[in-house]
Amino acid sequence: MRRAAPGSRVMSDRKLPRLLQTPAVLLLLIWMLIPLGMTLYFSFIRYVLNSLRRPEWTTPSLSNWRGFGNYQFVLNNKDFLFAIQNSLLIVCSILFLTVILGVLIAVLINKAFPGRGIVRVLLISPFFVMPAVNAVLWINMILDPVLGLQGLAVNGINGMIASLQNAPVVGWFFSLWPQLEPISFRATQTSAYAVIIMVTWQWTPFAVLIFMTSLQSEDQQQKEAAVLDGAGLWSQFRFLTLPHLSRPIAIVVMIQAIFHLSLYAEIEIVSRGNGNKNLPYLIGEFANNNIGAASATGIFAVILANIVAIFLLRMIGKTLME
Amino acid sequence: MAIVAETSRFGKLSRPVLAWIVGLLFFFPIFWMILTSFKTDADAVKPEFLLFFTPTLENYLNMTENYDYWRFATNSVITSVFATVFALAVGIPCAYAMAFNPSRSTKDVLMWMLSTKMLPAAAVLYPMTFLTKSLGVFDTHFLIIVVLMLINLPIVIWMLFTYFKEIPKDIIEAGQMDGVSTWGEVKEILIPLAWGGIASTALLCFIFCWNEAYWTVRLTTTEAATLSKLIEGNRAPEGLFFGRLSAVSAAAVGPIIVLGWFCQKQLVQGLTFGAVK
Amino acid sequence: MGRIVLENVTKSFGDAQVIPPLNLTIEDGEFAVFVGPSGCGKSTLLRLIAGLEETTSGQILIDGEDATRVPPSKRGLAMVFQSYALYPHMTVRKNIAFPLRMAKMDQAEIDKKVEGAAKILNLADYLEQKPGQLSGGQRQRVAIGRAIVREPAAFLFDEPLSNLDAALRVGMRLEISELHNRLATTMIYVTHDQVEAMTMANKIVVLRAGHIEQVGSPLDLYRTPRNLFVAGFIGSPKMNFIEGSEAEKHGAKTIGIRPEHITVSADSGPWEGTVGVSEHLGSDTFFHIHNSGLAETITVRADGEVGFKHGDRVRLAPREDVIHRFDAEGLRIA
Repeated sequence: MRRAAPGSRVMSDRKLPRLLQTPAVLLLLIWMLIPLGMTLYFSFIRYVLNSLRRPEWTTPSLSNWRGFGNYQFVLNNKDFLFAIQNSLLIVCSILFLTVILGVLIAVLINKAFPGRGIVRVLLISPFFVMPAVNAVLWINMILDPVLGLQGLAVNGINGMIASLQNAPVVGWFFSLWPQLEPISFRATQTSAYAVIIMVTWQWTPFAVLIFMTSLQSEDQQQKEAAVLDGAGLWSQFRFLTLPHLSRPIAIVVMIQAIFHLSLYAEIEIVSRGNGNKNLPYLIGEFANNNIGAASATGIFAVILANIVAIFLLRMIGKTLME
Repeated sequence: MAIVAETSRFGKLSRPVLAWIVGLLFFFPIFWMILTSFKTDADAVKPEFLLFFTPTLENYLNMTENYDYWRFATNSVITSVFATVFALAVGIPCAYAMAFNPSRSTKDVLMWMLSTKMLPAAAVLYPMTFLTKSLGVFDTHFLIIVVLMLINLPIVIWMLFTYFKEIPKDIIEAGQMDGVSTWGEVKEILIPLAWGGIASTALLCFIFCWNEAYWTVRLTTTEAATLSKLIEGNRAPEGLFFGRLSAVSAAAVGPIIVLGWFCQKQLVQGLTFGAVK
Repeated sequence: MGRIVLENVTKSFGDAQVIPPLNLTIEDGEFAVFVGPSGCGKSTLLRLIAGLEETTSGQILIDGEDATRVPPSKRGLAMVFQSYALYPHMTVRKNIAFPLRMAKMDQAEIDKKVEGAAKILNLADYLEQKPGQLSGGQRQRVAIGRAIVREPAAFLFDEPLSNLDAALRVGMRLEISELHNRLATTMIYVTHDQVEAMTMANKIVVLRAGHIEQVGSPLDLYRTPRNLFVAGFIGSPKMNFIEGSEAEKHGAKTIGIRPEHITVSADSGPWEGTVGVSEHLGSDTFFHIHNSGLAETITVRADGEVGFKHGDRVRLAPREDVIHRFDAEGLRIA
């Protein structure tokens, strides 16, 4: 080792890269392992924040060992399965909607038209809105059944129909119309949809931008060849554009899955988890008192995240190193 | 592209109209928020003042006086800037090594880093709170900076890696032949060449830091509380104070949106995470 | 000075040995060309000499000193890359000055050297431009300029002309040859193009799968190829190979005869065939002869004025004194 020390580039070729990676790897390792270790530990003991009956449970200690008790408790909790289903429902719906909308809009604005730059600026804006503001804005000012735009719009339409019912000649036709009911998005059945709507609004621009960038690199000669071969617009889209977009779609799906699996602020703000818990939110609820159960749920969440991660990384990993 | 079949009516007329409608539709909620922020709380919920009203700055004045907006904003700026700087400082050497001296494990390391982002934050919230409180760093700028840096580090490294990979290996080798040191390689060749990519990465990292709303809310009380905390703390009871709420919200997202507009080009490139050409 | 000696040098990537033990000496001032088909290890060999790859075993001596473990910049060699590898963010002046700046040379000295190199390479008008604004040939000159200013013991060229179009390539070939004559510095040049090898080299090293097939001057290789591979690789159009009874007549497994050593005519010569495609270059014409009973195709080089048409029956007369004979192993029979 000493022999090669003075400025030896050739020799250090193997060691230097490892050295440069060390800080980042070490930091992330600590960031992952310490909390994970603690969560694992807490998940096997009885640990609550307040207990008048059993004050000894309020400090973490191995003497409160509970084995898989916390896990059993969580599995038997009616909210648990629901939270998993709901997590998947929310993530999958958002992914589906953003990809479809993203492809359509990207194809729409891929060609030059007057004011394209401005449209792009308008489109990109929602992505910069912080999640808390996004939720507050949508649930209060837009989706609120009374005071939000939705309420006002429904009210306005109902008023208009009511006045038309008295109109001559066509009045009978409008009197057949039902009174419109505004939808409350804070209700148990609908709060998940509110979250899906607002997150889709925020992340569609992201999908659009990625797809647009990718479309711009599409091989135009290939398209011209296809036109000469008699391919219509639909065939061009189906057989050239869509396959070209497969990698960007995979990336959009992966990045979004990473962000949406840990959705929290939106759920909290829309309905405080009422009828719309996902796993992170359920953990948060448990953690108000029962740390043991929260930790056990956390371990389940880690497992779920890993399943998703393995699935996604398989999809992306191959193309990453090219 | 000059394909004859494209000169249909749709391409000529409907495309721009449709595109504009979509653009305006997506921007509308933000527009609505800004509009509402200039209404009084009472006017904000009255249908007759939907579009036509007497604008007022009352909400913004109220916000700075009663809500201590500037303190939250300053905290947001400080934590986001430093977290971004540190993330780059740690991320650049790492991505550099991975891009130019990849080993067999590089791909796995990269994937593992990304997968740390999938760990549910809620699962480790309690241990984190416990730990930071016992270490005496709870509610400090230091803690928020470190946490923001760590949660964004995987994305930063991944983005930088994809940008660095674009640099031809020949140029780095030419540098080696020309006698640059490792530090010189980074300073003289890598950073100037990947400047666009680094800027995109920094911007995106800054935005993610600014918008972060889990740890910043839960690991602070007052000292290091950011704008996310301000929003969380002030989402008023349903339907009340729309004007005030809009003003706070607009003031929280405004700077970032404006920044985003100005750096649109870099951001579009950055948003693709360097993975789409 | 620039005498480069490789002693039992090997290189493996993982389990795959791409360079088996190899010995080679390049004398000071020589223009050595490594030539071979793609994947033959010629670039790897050059990179081993440059220090961009670590040798797995063996020694590299530069001017008698062991340079095997010396970092690339300390070996006193300069390299010109196939992609030019210019620093796109620096002007031409800064590009050329870069190695000198890295060597902490005095600024006045740097300016003098850069100006000098620019003059030699006709770059004086472009010094303040960025590489992106230059044509391929100009970029190549900048890359050479960056190498020249270091006054290296040897220049290493890694397929430097393969990104240029045909006309420029001929021009740059001459310029590099001229440069070699002027500087009289050792140059090692890697190419897959045997024309470049033949026209530029003092010494050609023909490589295949990491092995040296033959080392010699261009004419040595042309006149006395050591085996079938070299015979087929050097010379254009390719040498014709004939097996079977015709070869046995000459006491060989295979005989080789170059297209320029066969005369084509309507009525004289021992071989016969039908004209296929004829390629008219103006000065010469290449006839591809079929149905000769000797080989699939026999290529013949004739004067540009010779005018046979597709389908004509012709007779071929080889020059007996320049028939190359090879044994069953493909080695030359003396």
